[in-house]
Amino acid sequence: MYGQKYSNLKKLVLYAIVFTYLVFVLFPLIWLVQSSFKSMYQALKIPPALIWRPTFEAYQKALGGGMLKAFLNSAIVSLSNVVLVLVLGVSAGYALANLKTKASQNIGFWILTVRMAPAFGIIVPLYIILRSFRLVDTIFAVMVAHLTINLPLAIWLLKSYFEEIPSELAEAAIVDGATRTQILLYVLVPVAAPMIVAVSALVFLLSWNEFLFAFVLTSEAARTVPVLVASLAGTMRFDWPLMCALSTLALIPAFVLVVYLQRYIVRGLTFGAVK
Amino acid sequence: MGVRVYWPPEENKLSWQYKFLLPALLVLLSIVAFPTFFLFYVSFHEWVLFKRGMPFIGFENFSRVLTSSEFLQSLKVSVMYTFSTTTLTFILGLGLALILNEQLKGRGIMRTLIALPLVIPPVVAGFAWKFALNREVGVIGAFILPAMGFMKSLLADPSLALSSIILADIWSKTSLMFLILLAGLQAVSPDLYEAARIDGASSWQLFSHITFPLIKPAIIIALIIRFIDAFNVFDAIFVMTSGGPGTATQTFPLLGWKIGFLYFHLGQAATLAIIMLIMTIGVSIFLIRRIT
Repeated sequence: MYGQKYSNLKKLVLYAIVFTYLVFVLFPLIWLVQSSFKSMYQALKIPPALIWRPTFEAYQKALGGGMLKAFLNSAIVSLSNVVLVLVLGVSAGYALANLKTKASQNIGFWILTVRMAPAFGIIVPLYIILRSFRLVDTIFAVMVAHLTINLPLAIWLLKSYFEEIPSELAEAAIVDGATRTQILLYVLVPVAAPMIVAVSALVFLLSWNEFLFAFVLTSEAARTVPVLVASLAGTMRFDWPLMCALSTLALIPAFVLVVYLQRYIVRGLTFGAVK
Repeated sequence: MGVRVYWPPEENKLSWQYKFLLPALLVLLSIVAFPTFFLFYVSFHEWVLFKRGMPFIGFENFSRVLTSSEFLQSLKVSVMYTFSTTTLTFILGLGLALILNEQLKGRGIMRTLIALPLVIPPVVAGFAWKFALNREVGVIGAFILPAMGFMKSLLADPSLALSSIILADIWSKTSLMFLILLAGLQAVSPDLYEAARIDGASSWQLFSHITFPLIKPAIIIALIIRFIDAFNVFDAIFVMTSGGPGTATQTFPLLGWKIGFLYFHLGQAATLAIIMLIMTIGVSIFLIRRIT
């Protein structure tokens, strides 16, 4: 092991293990996607046919009618979270990176403990508060709930990234008479661009995928895609192709972002503990 | 280095940081800090939705929750679920990370594919498995398993449902273990192995004396994060079984949802959340102490 020259047999065994695991990973997904192009009759057929005439019935159903609203809701919630997190998080992250006092360390630690808290502990009081303002089943409620996860995450990641940028950059700009806002916007943000893009992608995806908060806070008007999928999966009359089509559509952001996010997601999900 | 001389006189040395921090801090205070205090407040009250009055009852909620039979059942399910998924994803993730840390052709694409389940909506992951395992229409539950002579329904059988949701969790979350441990392995310098190999160390000795001690911090982080996540899984379980059949897969988050948003007993739901938080912190500290 460890970079040594392998015998071909040893290599074959390693490939076989990984290949088996990949079959396990990809099989349910491939099955889901291919079933979305089946008719109800084809989807229920056992043994399943491997060759059939693909139909887009399920997609027509998924994108017509009231279900498109859920995609719109999800997109609004996710994008508004990205915008809010960047507006609030970039300056807060920069500030925390430049605060070396005891108070700032406490703020930092507090942000970190949010990661440890059960999602459940946040949603109970949040539900009571939002309900008293009559905001249940509004996009705003879901947006606020998602911000409780995304904002601490973004601040923490951006803070650790700003700390890695050499302070000479900012000092040179101060000598030239730049204000702190100018330094942040014109000097540091361009340097931190890779991290800012990664944070945006991560926030978008976490918000797009989130279920519990959206489920508790919405019923019909503001429900997001995961809530829609779960509510259909919970009914007794199963329209399997339709649910497969909705699930496939819900997967698109993940497929688009996985290649890019792979480098940053560990840092993101471990709150920067692993780089 | 004399830089301060050029600082504009109106700029106070510390004030700008607080100005930059203030907007985010205000938002976090109102949507995280205040609800957290409110959670504790609620837990000391008999707070039932649609019922007038919410009297202060001290620790009554705690004693009611802790002594209920559903709590004990959920404790059992949660411990079994959390322990098995954490252990199994760790073993699988470590194995895959060790393999894909080697010079294998196509390892870039293999790493990406292994990472894929992590970004997939948990609800979709749960549905994909529910569909595949279904006894009437699922390709595994209705076709592959019966062909092998296995006739039971995985998700409807109380003794098999827990294993099924554990399987789905392994599918979703081995990725995270894999990525954290791979990041740990990549930070280990290959020179160390060269030197040890010249001294005639075996593969096992290389692992136990070099790799393991060096990736220990990554292991601790991976275990703690995985434990916290597994302890709090709601979405995939909700879609697959909703905690059933009966209470066979009712972990703490599902019990909490049931108490709070099905029975609307928000005081007791808040209490359960606090109990979960205490358990999370306790186990995390235990893991840190035990492994370091």
